[in-house]
Amino acid sequence: MKKLCLLLLVLFVLQLMMPASGHAIPALARKHGFNCNMCHTAYPKLNDFGQRFRDSGYQIPGQEGKEKNVFDTPPPIAVRTSTGLSGYNTKNATTSGFDMLGLDLLAAGVMHKNISFLFIYTPRIDEPSADYTGSQDGTNPLQLGAFESGNVVFSNLIQDALNVRVGRFEPAYHAISSKRSFYLMEPYEIYSFSTPGNNFVFDDNQIGVEATGRCRCGFKYGLGVVNGTGASPDNNRYKDVYVDASQTMGAGDGQSAGQTIGAFVYYGWQPLTFSGATPSPTGEVGGGRNKPFYRFGGHAGLNWKTLNLQGLYMKGVDDKSINVLTPTKDYEFDGGLAELDYAGLKNNRLIASVLYNWVSTPSYDCDREVKAYSGVLRYYFGDWTAVNVALHAEYTHRETGETDPLKESVYALVVDFAF
Amino acid sequence: MKRIYVFLAIVILFVPLLLLAADTSPQPLTGVEVHSLGPQKVGNLPQVPVPANNPQTGLKIMLGKQLYFDTRLSSDNTISCATCHNPLMGWSDKGPTSEGIGSQRGGRRAPPVSNAAYLPLQFWDGRAPSLEEQAKGPIQNPVEMGNTHEHMLRTVGDIPGYVEEFKNVFGTTPVTIDQVAEAVAAFERTVVTTDSPFDRFVRGDETALTPLEKQGLEIFNGKAHCTACHWGSHFTDGRFHNLGVTQSGPLKVDDGRSEITKRPRDTRAFKTPTIRDAALRPPYMHTGGEKTLTDVVNFYNKGGGTHDAYLDRLMVPLGLTDQEVGALVAFMTRAMTSLNTEVANVTPIPTSELPK
Repeated sequence: MKKLCLLLLVLFVLQLMMPASGHAIPALARKHGFNCNMCHTAYPKLNDFGQRFRDSGYQIPGQEGKEKNVFDTPPPIAVRTSTGLSGYNTKNATTSGFDMLGLDLLAAGVMHKNISFLFIYTPRIDEPSADYTGSQDGTNPLQLGAFESGNVVFSNLIQDALNVRVGRFEPAYHAISSKRSFYLMEPYEIYSFSTPGNNFVFDDNQIGVEATGRCRCGFKYGLGVVNGTGASPDNNRYKDVYVDASQTMGAGDGQSAGQTIGAFVYYGWQPLTFSGATPSPTGEVGGGRNKPFYRFGGHAGLNWKTLNLQGLYMKGVDDKSINVLTPTKDYEFDGGLAELDYAGLKNNRLIASVLYNWVSTPSYDCDREVKAYSGVLRYYFGDWTAVNVALHAEYTHRETGETDPLKESVYALVVDFAF
Repeated sequence: MKRIYVFLAIVILFVPLLLLAADTSPQPLTGVEVHSLGPQKVGNLPQVPVPANNPQTGLKIMLGKQLYFDTRLSSDNTISCATCHNPLMGWSDKGPTSEGIGSQRGGRRAPPVSNAAYLPLQFWDGRAPSLEEQAKGPIQNPVEMGNTHEHMLRTVGDIPGYVEEFKNVFGTTPVTIDQVAEAVAAFERTVVTTDSPFDRFVRGDETALTPLEKQGLEIFNGKAHCTACHWGSHFTDGRFHNLGVTQSGPLKVDDGRSEITKRPRDTRAFKTPTIRDAALRPPYMHTGGEKTLTDVVNFYNKGGGTHDAYLDRLMVPLGLTDQEVGALVAFMTRAMTSLNTEVANVTPIPTSELPK
């Protein structure tokens, strides 16, 4: 029984470490005939041009309206997957094996001047025979996969000062994108940390509407209204709101050049009781007595040649009513990350990165404190014409808990393939 | 909750209005076809587009070539088209900007004539929608040929050899400015440079490019973002971009494309020149302010020049290393230089062989 529990634990941890699906869209490179480096420092991380291309609704910045639309170009479909050897070690468990760490089916393109779309379907590949025919009350997934993203972008509504994204999308408060990180295995601990009694996960793509924009002075903003429940149906009567603002100094967009500083605030609501609740026709199971929670923080990015240092700090506070551990106090935590990326060799074929993560929790929940140290080496093969293969090596050492911490080591040596 | 619905209703109502509002800006010259973006693959040049109202004939091309090299089109018989668009200097001149009649210095660098036939708009600011219209301009420009169309036509009309040739080509007399322009344009449509090492590489000759040049091509189409504008078979989008080039030369202010379109967003935007044969015609930019191709790449590498309010959003620092700059320059220098001088009609006509 112990062995079975251990195996389940290992599988659970590996499941948690499944890659945050990355957004590298070779279909767009194919459309234009560009090499991936046009938009990516090295895929999936965007460079300044790529960031502006994305912000502009997958249109060449300044050339909106001159793009061929999806009906005049090859099917805008792309695939990305990472397959190889991965391993997980703790004091009491050691396992390794070949894994398919993720699969993304992507489609993106321009439908009309300043109207574009992005779909990312992530089929479940971990349990292909699983039975998902359970009760349809919104708590069980109804299909063997999910749309990680599915949104329409109305861009350049007021030049580049207003773009509106509707659907499920990566929200603007992800100042450092986990979806386009060089790290494949849940890179940012503070993003994936969730508090007891609150099912909000900072890392989730959200369903709602978001406005973003920029001015030529380097100021960028993003503000949105979302469910706050990831892919799940909404669970309360209030919507969550957020705002992110940043300023880039110097030439560039802060991704691969220029220096950036910014701040964000997320304000959400969480229901307390579901007793007697019945699902709505769309599957929502709304609870009662909604209580607030918020997240806020700052981020910064420094660029020098092909070195990129970026950091993020976040503090989270849940209303005491949500705090199931100590209902007399608000649940407060904080954490952050610091990441240094280096791109080397011609055309950035070699990527080296180190990453430090930490999450500090209240003393009564100190077993969930996290410190993690990670490193990545990636080497890109291929001829850069929208068919890319990267050999990816990643290692993370994580310590969870204050007293007698659980020490975990996770590694992966995989081929990261985008077509 | 009601507030949320009101907010969403406002958003839904306003999106179409804003979309409509975004389309109300003045449009550029009508009737000019500029290629759509994507695919933008670099490759071999296609057949030269020829307008239906000015078909190519051998006699017309020869007449146009004679006119192109004839200094008698200028007011003091010193300047021909070839003076500033010299085939031996990559169909441009030594610069930095062109020297016209009376040693007057022009405000902009002479754009190359080679492969200009593929461009939908002519001049740095695109004010001419065809080669024919372009050919009329410099004749009466006071700092270029300093002539008038009427005086030039009288001059040509007094040369029996020309009169006979015009009659043979167009079948009518007297000579008109449209006929002069059509003949010059017909010649310019033969100035096509195709057979570069790059073209041979695209046709399948793997040995045509050196390893360094291949790296340069890879960088050209990726990290250096060159193909965002210098794309297609002609290595230009034919559009207009503000790169933040520091104004220099006789003009203290040069607003470029916006002087034609009157659109603020075109302020200081100039037409993308082709990369083909670029190594043959330094210096670079519309001012001739960058002396070498390495200077040009370094200019882009730092994100362009002056960051004014109209700087093109394509201008971002590139993060190129010195080695990558070197590979890129190697690609643009030898690999993009045409080897087909005959096809490019490069041999000048000596003055002694011009019509008398």
